[in-house]
Amino acid sequence: MFFRTRRLWKKPDRLRSRYDAVIIGGGLHGLATAYYLAREHGMRDVAVIEKNYIGFGGAGRNTAIVRANQRTSENLPLYKEALDLWPVLTRELNFNLMFNNCGNLNLVHSEAAMKASRLNVATAQFHGVESHLLDAAQVKEMEPALNIAEDIAFPIHGAMYHPPGGVVRHDAVVWGLAKGASAHGVHIHQQTEATGISVENGAVAGVETRAGNIRTGRVLISAGGYSADIIHRMLGLTLPISVLTIQAMVTQPLKPLLNHVVSSGAYHVYANQTLKGEIATGAHMDPWPNYTTRNSAHYIKHQAEALGEMLPCLRGVRFMRHWAGLADMTPDMAPIMDGNDPVRGAYINCGWGYFGFKSCAVVGKHMAAFMAGGECPEILRPFHLRRYEQHRLMGETAAVVNYSPDN
Amino acid sequence: MSRLEHLPTLRIDPSLTLPLHYRGKTRYGVSGDTVATALFADGVRIFGRSLKYHRPRGLYSLDGECANTTMAVDGVPNVRTETTPLVSGMRVAVQNVMGFPEFDVMGFMDRLSPFMPAGFYYRILHKPAMIWPLALKSIRKAAGLGKISPDFRTIGTFEERYLHADVCVVGGGAAGMSAALAAAESGLRVILLEARPWLGGCWDYRSGADSDALPLYERSRELAREVADEPRIRVFCRTPMIGAYNDNLVTAVQSGGEDEGFTERYIEIRAQSVVVATGCIERPLLFENNDRPGVMQVGCAHRLARTYGILPGKTAVFSVGHDMGLEAAVDLSELGVEVLCVADAREDGQHPGLVRALTERGIPLLRGWVAARAFGKRHVKKAAVTTVEGTVRREFACDLLVASAGLSPVTGPLTVAGARLAYDVHTGYFLPEALPCGVHAAGRLLGWNDPGAAEASGRLAGVRAAADCGKTVDSDAAEAALAAHPGPESGCKLVTAPVAGKKAFVCFDEDATVKNVRQAIDMGFDVPELIKRFAAVGLGPGQGGIPGHNLPLLAARYRADTAPPRPTTVRSPLVPALIAAYAGAQRDMCKRTPLHRLQERDGGVFRRTGVWKRARYFSDDTECREEILAVRNGVGMLDASTLGKFRIHGPDALNALQRVYVSDMRKVGSDRVKYSAMCNDDGCVIDDGVAVKIGENDYYFTTSTGRAGATVEWIRYHTRFDEWDFHLVNLTDALGVINLAGPDARTVLESITDADVSNEAFPFAGYRTFRVDGWIPVRAMRLGFVGELSFELHAPSSFMPALWDRVAEAGKPHGIRNFGMEAQNVLRMEKGHVILGQESEQRTNLLDLGLGFLWDRSKTDAATVGAVALEQAEDDPDRLTLVGIEMDDPDRPAKDGSVIVDDRIRGYVCTLRRSVTLNRAVGMALVEAPLSAPGTHLEIFEDDCNGQRLKAKVVPMPFYDPEGKRMKG
Repeated sequence: MFFRTRRLWKKPDRLRSRYDAVIIGGGLHGLATAYYLAREHGMRDVAVIEKNYIGFGGAGRNTAIVRANQRTSENLPLYKEALDLWPVLTRELNFNLMFNNCGNLNLVHSEAAMKASRLNVATAQFHGVESHLLDAAQVKEMEPALNIAEDIAFPIHGAMYHPPGGVVRHDAVVWGLAKGASAHGVHIHQQTEATGISVENGAVAGVETRAGNIRTGRVLISAGGYSADIIHRMLGLTLPISVLTIQAMVTQPLKPLLNHVVSSGAYHVYANQTLKGEIATGAHMDPWPNYTTRNSAHYIKHQAEALGEMLPCLRGVRFMRHWAGLADMTPDMAPIMDGNDPVRGAYINCGWGYFGFKSCAVVGKHMAAFMAGGECPEILRPFHLRRYEQHRLMGETAAVVNYSPDN
Repeated sequence: MSRLEHLPTLRIDPSLTLPLHYRGKTRYGVSGDTVATALFADGVRIFGRSLKYHRPRGLYSLDGECANTTMAVDGVPNVRTETTPLVSGMRVAVQNVMGFPEFDVMGFMDRLSPFMPAGFYYRILHKPAMIWPLALKSIRKAAGLGKISPDFRTIGTFEERYLHADVCVVGGGAAGMSAALAAAESGLRVILLEARPWLGGCWDYRSGADSDALPLYERSRELAREVADEPRIRVFCRTPMIGAYNDNLVTAVQSGGEDEGFTERYIEIRAQSVVVATGCIERPLLFENNDRPGVMQVGCAHRLARTYGILPGKTAVFSVGHDMGLEAAVDLSELGVEVLCVADAREDGQHPGLVRALTERGIPLLRGWVAARAFGKRHVKKAAVTTVEGTVRREFACDLLVASAGLSPVTGPLTVAGARLAYDVHTGYFLPEALPCGVHAAGRLLGWNDPGAAEASGRLAGVRAAADCGKTVDSDAAEAALAAHPGPESGCKLVTAPVAGKKAFVCFDEDATVKNVRQAIDMGFDVPELIKRFAAVGLGPGQGGIPGHNLPLLAARYRADTAPPRPTTVRSPLVPALIAAYAGAQRDMCKRTPLHRLQERDGGVFRRTGVWKRARYFSDDTECREEILAVRNGVGMLDASTLGKFRIHGPDALNALQRVYVSDMRKVGSDRVKYSAMCNDDGCVIDDGVAVKIGENDYYFTTSTGRAGATVEWIRYHTRFDEWDFHLVNLTDALGVINLAGPDARTVLESITDADVSNEAFPFAGYRTFRVDGWIPVRAMRLGFVGELSFELHAPSSFMPALWDRVAEAGKPHGIRNFGMEAQNVLRMEKGHVILGQESEQRTNLLDLGLGFLWDRSKTDAATVGAVALEQAEDDPDRLTLVGIEMDDPDRPAKDGSVIVDDRIRGYVCTLRRSVTLNRAVGMALVEAPLSAPGTHLEIFEDDCNGQRLKAKVVPMPFYDPEGKRMKG
């Protein structure tokens, strides 16, 4: 037979009573951290504890867009490194992550938005990341399906074009990282729920799970939308995080139509064509916090209205699947990555909102270094938790945002 | 092909032919046909080619669960021809075919299947790295079924309806109709949704197992008449349910008939109670070449004959697992199909009457047998059947293989509504184990196959739904009535024939085989949800329709699970729905000011600003030279109606203002406005505006346009524990605003009012109320946002057009001009006035903006929102500070959004223009504090500057009229 069918990742042994490090959450960030801990830092006994199956949460629900055209100098280098990692990881893992480097077009619909985009473009260029501003005619040339007429709610004024971005197959990243982590000896325990973290003398002593207790001095909580709740319950930290449902959908598959990831802040919509030919689309979050991952009728209707104006040919295409995931939003739309504060050996990685996919590999790499050495890598320093008590937000977004239920 | 005529069950009118165009020829169907039945009647057997292997595909279920028969119709891709009514003149084209449906150039792909095991694309094509971009291109081309042109425009009328009902019944079969009748009889308003063009479900074409009772098709027509005669029931046919959401919100899409005024209609129904009676589809039987044209499900073959008058084949082999299969075999043989044998996967449990009928016709019934393989390259020519263990095998030459393993309930509507399903060993179905509040299930969906039981279970659900709506009902009687009928039969458990499964397709849409599923499991994908993704099962255009229940059963069997199987997730839309249908009427919901039309008349170019449309320019000149000069040298008028406008009154009104504004609001007077700002808990400025006292405990205040919507909640939220007594009224839409600005503004105003508006009587920051022309009530404020003498005139919206015309007329001798947002933007920038969101970002606090003077630290008792953060920020050296900057080259203004750099990014340009007033290029920027001292040289990095940095320096603000003589004069 041409292909050997053997397991991509090993069937784990029984949960051991001692690990060098335990990672709560078998999503992208957790698996990536485990992979790098084992591969780069030679940590042999690493366990990933996943309540459901790997990739159950945001890892399997995102729309797989990658880009490095963020707003601030703190964020952008991280995403830049993340973009550069996809080909490297594909090689390392010997697993095709299907990076489709199609480039991103962020549509701009007004003069004011042009200014905001210019800040991103100039910041990117200053950091050596390719990004340009285009006018409407140029945009139309690149993406003929776009409607640049004036008679729509938000006429297209131009776009921010970011060639290095694109789409990566999100499931492949989950499986590839699981494969790589497992090959380096990481135990992946699915269907295993962590229930507590024991702390002795201000330091992590162990992790309690439904399958038994583990002695360990290092634990990372990296459970996507569920992190804030777990961190609160297990470490007693109340984080400035609101969890909101974010929805996405795909159309039936089509022959090639869209050549880029197209997005619009004004319409609250992005659309890209997957390798299978589906148009994947989504954008904004539900305006109220909840953990349900339920869809809403209003949302899919809104997407249809927006797409119908922006990409009118899609009116003749059918939606076939609509789903929801969780976005854990911080007040400044930038994540929280911290460790050893206030509990030694306890690390947290959360608040990624809807940026968790594009950042997973690079964050895993640096979080692993953090956990292995105990010293926070320079690139992660700006993302510490205490910035909120110091009232120093990151400025990743220009507009004032407020995700609490009351405002 | 001639049709069977005079069958009482026909839904076509053979005398009325309708043309359609396919492959360059005009063909004819008849009235009542679907696109697929018309083509089938015309001899078409291959409707398209499959995604990966380009295998020929044909009619399978006649309900459009898979992509086998999706075609392009009138340019729209992926149309489910099995369910789309034929309309005269349709243009139909095959999809995913290179060449002809019979001879597809890509047909060789089928032989490559050994090289394409589950998830093969993850394991190849990335080594060496350079081949991936090429592979990616070919993958994209090969993938996708339908084709759409970027210029394609959907023609038709799309509507939306928002309906309310007490009970919404989904599914218009016997159970659904019974439920609707039972609910309506208790006086409730009922909506009945049916996907097909008529009511009746699977009874519509069946004569019934027993000849002594009324034939099922007659009984269903009888029920349909009762439904039609019941005025409380609104029936929507051709209206499949597509989604269910919280609190019994059901969505559906209705297809318009030829005579109706719409193409498709998006429907949202809010119901107190929902009854799901969607019946069953057939469980696909998995055997080699189970996708070959000529292999079809029982209902498909049966309905082709009974509903459309088309014989599905000449010589047939049946392989079934339920009595409806036997019934169809008997009936089709009666209608002229030669039935060679009926293989039934069940060893026993067949209805004796049906067994007898088969025997009478000499049709052998093979109990415990199943189809193993279909032969024939493009169409079935021969079928092999074996015992379920695979020990004995027989072959039959035939052109039709009617195959299905059993029945699967259509549980999608229940699961999207939030029901949990569990495997039921008796029926072999996934049945609801817990239903959400106000959701009920009925009929064959629950295994009630007996005709009497189907009706009784429908009535029971209707009665329970009535109870949800507060009606007193006798549900015990309804339960007893149901109990009197035979219960659900034991269902066939067989999923796959005893075959290797190399070409036994679990999922037609993505060409996933039984073998692929086993491979995925062998590679560690043990959860159906993961197998689904890795082996691509049920992710195609038809979603889980075909493989949804087979996959978990197959996986459970292969893994020899002890735990009961779990179904994979079903998601909305339950049937694929057009984006145009979802969009519906596509109304643009933006707000227009009372002066919108007048500004349009004057040539305004509008932009969306939040929820509003505002005029940005009044000429083609985007630098707005004329507009700016008019304000600086004469007089201009601006529509500022989008400003947030509020009244707060009551004993604690002042307390509330003290809480949210940073200033001491006790100083707000009745003839002077006070400018202040609101901060959030981080001290960041979220709003600025003016407040004035208009009576005892009564204030009028303005907010920025963007905050108008949030202000009431903001104040309520931040006073929520105080039990303060105040009332807050949002007057934003009730009042409009004109900003009359320029050195001649006073002269203009004087000419239209008797009030004394001299500088002495109405000084800067003053507030007065008076009438214009003796009748238009105006609240006037002396402000100076644009740096000139200006009057902000607030008046009730209904008076605004009159006020605008009056001001325009009075200003004519002074050359008054409209000015828009961009002119205002430059004018206020020259004056050093900020616009929040432009000179501030999310993290910019009051001190950063240089507005610290507004903050009154003495009012600690007010617990001013943001004060704590501001105190902390005072000693923070690492913040961005707003400064004025001037370009070294006055003719080369940096563009807004450029970054200020040295070896790293140190800030950015907020607004910067070449000022026609000053002949300098000036603007504002947010820079790190160490760069904020006047005289500091800055380097600006603009996008695509090729390393050529622009030079500027920090200068004091304001740039224009620093003493404020013009504004205050």
